Amino acid sequence: MRGWKVKRLIMSAVPLALAGCDTELSALSPAGPAAAQIAWLWWGMLAASSALFLLVLVLVAMSFGAPRDVPARRWTHTLGVGFSLAVLSVFLAAGLWVGERLVPRGAAAVEVRAHAFQWGWRFTQPGPRGMVETHDVLHIPAGEPVDVIVTAEDVIHAFWVPRLAGKIDAVPGRQNRLRLQADEPGRYAGMCAEFCGVGHAIMPFEVIAHPSEDWPQAVTATARDADSDGGEQ
Amino acid sequence: MSDPTALGRESRAAARSRSGAFDIPENPPQRALALHRALTAVWANDPGWRGQITAVNHTTLGLRFMATALVFFAIGGILAMLIRTQLATPEGAFLDTELYNQIFTMHGSIMMFLFAIPMLEGLGIYMLPKMLGTRDMAFPRLTALGYWCYLFGGLIMLGALFAGVAPRDGWFMYTPLSGATYSPGINADVWLLGVTFVEISAIAAAVEITVTILRQRAPGMKLTEMPLFAWYMLGTSVMMLAGFPPLILASVLLEIERAFGWPFFEVARGGDPLLWQHLFWLFGHPEVYIIFLPAAGVLSTIIPVMCRTRILGYGAIVASIVALVFLSFGLWVHHMFTVGIPHMALAFFSAASLLVAVPTAVQVFAWIGTMWQGRPELHLPMYHVLGFFLTFVMGGLTGVMLALVPFNWQAHDTAFVTAHLHYVLIGGFVFPIMAAATYWMPQITGRARIRGVGEAAFWIILIGFHGTFFVMHLTGLLGMPRRIDIYPDNPEWIWLNLTSSIFSFVMTIGFALFALDLFLQATLGKRSARNPWQAPTLDWALALPAPAYNFASLPGPRLLTGEPARPALLPLARGEGVLPGAPRGRREFLVTSIGAARPDHVAVLPGNTALPLWLAGAIALFVLLMLSGHYIWTLPALTLVAALIWRWGRGLTTEQDHPAVEAAPGLSLPVHYHAHASLGHTGTICLLFSNGALFASLLFGLGFLTLVTPGPDAPEAFVPGQSAIPAMATVVAGLALGAIGVRLARHAVQGERGTGALWFSAVVNALALLAVAILGLGLMDDPTTHARDALRGVLAGYVALHALICTGFAAFALDQLRRGELANGRTGTLKTWRFWQDFSLATALLAGAAAIMQGGV
Amino acid sequence: MARGALWLGQVLAGPAIWAVTFAAVYALHGTGCAQGWDAMATPVGSVHRLAMALAWGAGLLACGGLLLRFSGTETRWQALPRMGAWIGLGATLFSLFPLIVLPAC
Repeated sequence: MRGWKVKRLIMSAVPLALAGCDTELSALSPAGPAAAQIAWLWWGMLAASSALFLLVLVLVAMSFGAPRDVPARRWTHTLGVGFSLAVLSVFLAAGLWVGERLVPRGAAAVEVRAHAFQWGWRFTQPGPRGMVETHDVLHIPAGEPVDVIVTAEDVIHAFWVPRLAGKIDAVPGRQNRLRLQADEPGRYAGMCAEFCGVGHAIMPFEVIAHPSEDWPQAVTATARDADSDGGEQ
Repeated sequence: MSDPTALGRESRAAARSRSGAFDIPENPPQRALALHRALTAVWANDPGWRGQITAVNHTTLGLRFMATALVFFAIGGILAMLIRTQLATPEGAFLDTELYNQIFTMHGSIMMFLFAIPMLEGLGIYMLPKMLGTRDMAFPRLTALGYWCYLFGGLIMLGALFAGVAPRDGWFMYTPLSGATYSPGINADVWLLGVTFVEISAIAAAVEITVTILRQRAPGMKLTEMPLFAWYMLGTSVMMLAGFPPLILASVLLEIERAFGWPFFEVARGGDPLLWQHLFWLFGHPEVYIIFLPAAGVLSTIIPVMCRTRILGYGAIVASIVALVFLSFGLWVHHMFTVGIPHMALAFFSAASLLVAVPTAVQVFAWIGTMWQGRPELHLPMYHVLGFFLTFVMGGLTGVMLALVPFNWQAHDTAFVTAHLHYVLIGGFVFPIMAAATYWMPQITGRARIRGVGEAAFWIILIGFHGTFFVMHLTGLLGMPRRIDIYPDNPEWIWLNLTSSIFSFVMTIGFALFALDLFLQATLGKRSARNPWQAPTLDWALALPAPAYNFASLPGPRLLTGEPARPALLPLARGEGVLPGAPRGRREFLVTSIGAARPDHVAVLPGNTALPLWLAGAIALFVLLMLSGHYIWTLPALTLVAALIWRWGRGLTTEQDHPAVEAAPGLSLPVHYHAHASLGHTGTICLLFSNGALFASLLFGLGFLTLVTPGPDAPEAFVPGQSAIPAMATVVAGLALGAIGVRLARHAVQGERGTGALWFSAVVNALALLAVAILGLGLMDDPTTHARDALRGVLAGYVALHALICTGFAAFALDQLRRGELANGRTGTLKTWRFWQDFSLATALLAGAAAIMQGGV
Repeated sequence: MARGALWLGQVLAGPAIWAVTFAAVYALHGTGCAQGWDAMATPVGSVHRLAMALAWGAGLLACGGLLLRFSGTETRWQALPRMGAWIGLGATLFSLFPLIVLPAC
């Protein structure tokens, strides 16, 4: 657990240094295992790609000068096919490995629903007395996996909380499942990531992760707040 | 081209005959000026403004395509400036959201459909005949038709932009947002009809580029020895033939849904919005490679010349092109990683998306190897080549990242993807095209450039580009989604966006300077030396600027391997090559065999005509009537289109016998009316291949909606099988009998007695048409109730259209017979018709089988 | 004429086999997931995976056959069909191997 936090600190340090302010939508400041694994994948790919890019630049730079006789097959077959296939195989293996770990298999203990419409979100989650409906605020317990069932009312939208997990589209006529987990209690920003008309830019929402001992008792209060200013379409 | 060492002409000919190649003796030299005058009289455009309307010449039209594309590039660029201005501050009030949506939609659509595709078409149309050693494209009137369709389609879209009713649903036009419910008004129709209109020109260009490369290479230029640029363009045009039909189909389906309420994408009635995405990206991803391949062809042409060597790994590069052509059709789902497809299917497409990097890497390393093997010289085109390496390699690497499913889940639809796609498209297309422009400008204008301006433009563009888009990777990773116009709650994006906006203006200044450089060179430049780069290809073996006929005589095997091209120039101009001058007062070139380029026959081309303009105008009329909702009035417009197509066909016929032509001493060739396999024959195969891709996309849609879509089941079919089956059988039988009839007619024509067989074919094809009409109008369920019935309606419409075409062919053949055009081995339209008839029969059979397997018949 | 077209066909044969195999496996995958073939078991895995594996195997065998058939490498004219066969084999192997390592639906 402690090592995990250290990693997270390193990961969030770079963009923090770059951006110099809060990074509430940053995929590089992960706050859950799904986003963290993708962030690791990114840093790994960035390192490898930088090396490859440098290699190409050096090879191009070295071409300026006296002609040299390198066998053609060494360029096309060894470098072109062999080397690139080897690198790509590593990439693919990493991608499939991480991807398979993030795909929801079986059911998580907690299941919530996110229903997108033009232009807002209706969430359904367990409350102290049965299911509670909220607008633009989703309540989840911290520290455990949650499955979000994503659906759409009208056009295609996408559910995205960058610090917790990747995105999944809300497609009319389909139910999509996204598994996410917030390691710590807190508020996490989310938004619609698929263009959905003139209100596309104003479709943010918030995921509130409650300490698991407070959940789902804490849900009602905030739900009422959110409800008062909500109102579908 | 083939042999690097400077062999003498004689020993080269000897080497050829050893490898089983053929030789063509030279014609006696003539006075070059007399040849030039005679050829110009035959090949030149009409004088004055009329000449602009009636021109069918590939040099004129290729340049016109490229110039028009440049204008659209400027317009698309201005739209990009508006976007960047809006995003420069978090609460930009510069544009309202509605207008902003129209602008980013039009920016993408213009850059893709009105800049990149026409630009590469124009480059191919201008360059290929010159590189391959011929005088024009295979179907000059089709070139002109393509241009007018492009211009009118583009003008319709521009008009909508200025009228404030431009498309606003993104260049990808996802349903249901682009459907009638959520996009009322004509905005979406403008896109669907305008883009489809422009695509007619893409298909036309693809057909003739394919035919030109396969059948018009200079005699002796083997397929495996032709300039690599031609291989790239061959790959591009085949991809266009297969890749555009899915989009055309999707656009037609969505337009039918919007106009007539047939459900294809609407969930409540059994449709599926994902069908749109599949069809769109089945086009959309190959599109990226359609744009990249010609640019890569430019690089493979320019790099060896700039490095005073020849290309390394010709065979491996051809294999990479083949691999890219195929693999690029297996990646489309990587645009759909977040729509909820099972992980295993995503894995297939992820693997294929990574795999496509291999042939790209082979080419990049072949280019670097070429530079190592030679001695790179830093002329201006080489600057842009280096700009390509710097930019495209980064775009390729971020592409590899995005091919990984989990990373894609985060980066999809963020500014990271915006950055990636601009690195790929500007790196992989715009930089190579700028290299091409600076390389070929002396060839096009006959003038040398003015020093300094081009270099400045290059540096400003390079700095502006990377300043704009490099930071955008980070903007995306910090969570900024695409297509938003304000971000008041996200101060962390402000400096990133402001940086992008500032540098985007720098980039614009660079592009303006680049355009100025071209203008200055064209107007003020000094006379350029012939072949200033000492290039080996035939496009430099002609006078500068290029005459209307390109070559006074066509290069035969003895003049092909000039390296550089200069030695071939004088003998060709003196008429020592094949088919010198224009002694018969008509436009002629040589048609050769696909593989070894053996002389096959002489094609006679139609001259200047305004018919393409009228036909494009009639199609534009149809499009405008559709846009304005006057659906009934489209019928007279379509009749006009059909009448003009008939008129077009009349221009291809002859009632005389044409004597064989002596192309070189001892080489007597038939004229195409008497040829076994004419250009029209090859072109028909290409067009039907494309048509087959359209039909296959339709069957894919049918299978997808039937098997995969989770929507509501179709209502019990109203039609009992007994009444539909006989009608369907009649359609198939009619088309089958028509296929027999056309074969009988062909035999009968040899003895000048084909009337009976032709009448028979006409009647049975008309019967098939009648049967499918009865089926569609009387027996089938209402197509608006469910996607199943809507798809059946489309299948019936497809079969009806083909039955109509076959009936039209029969009527045309009867008319030809009446005029005495089918005689003495001149088979007129019969061969083309036979291809269409067989194709119609096969698709009707498949359509019937599909409808039955769909269940409920 | 025919010789050139035939040769082009030979060059395209390998990649075309990949295209057919890829489309077939993807279609079988989509259809199988939608129709519940995953649940139908056979002694060597589900009906779904078996169907996909058979299509994959057929594609690999066909590409292998092409490699045996196009053995020449001497000239560019001979080498390209063989390169096409390698492209087909490599692409089929690489792009479809996830079907043996991942759960199907």
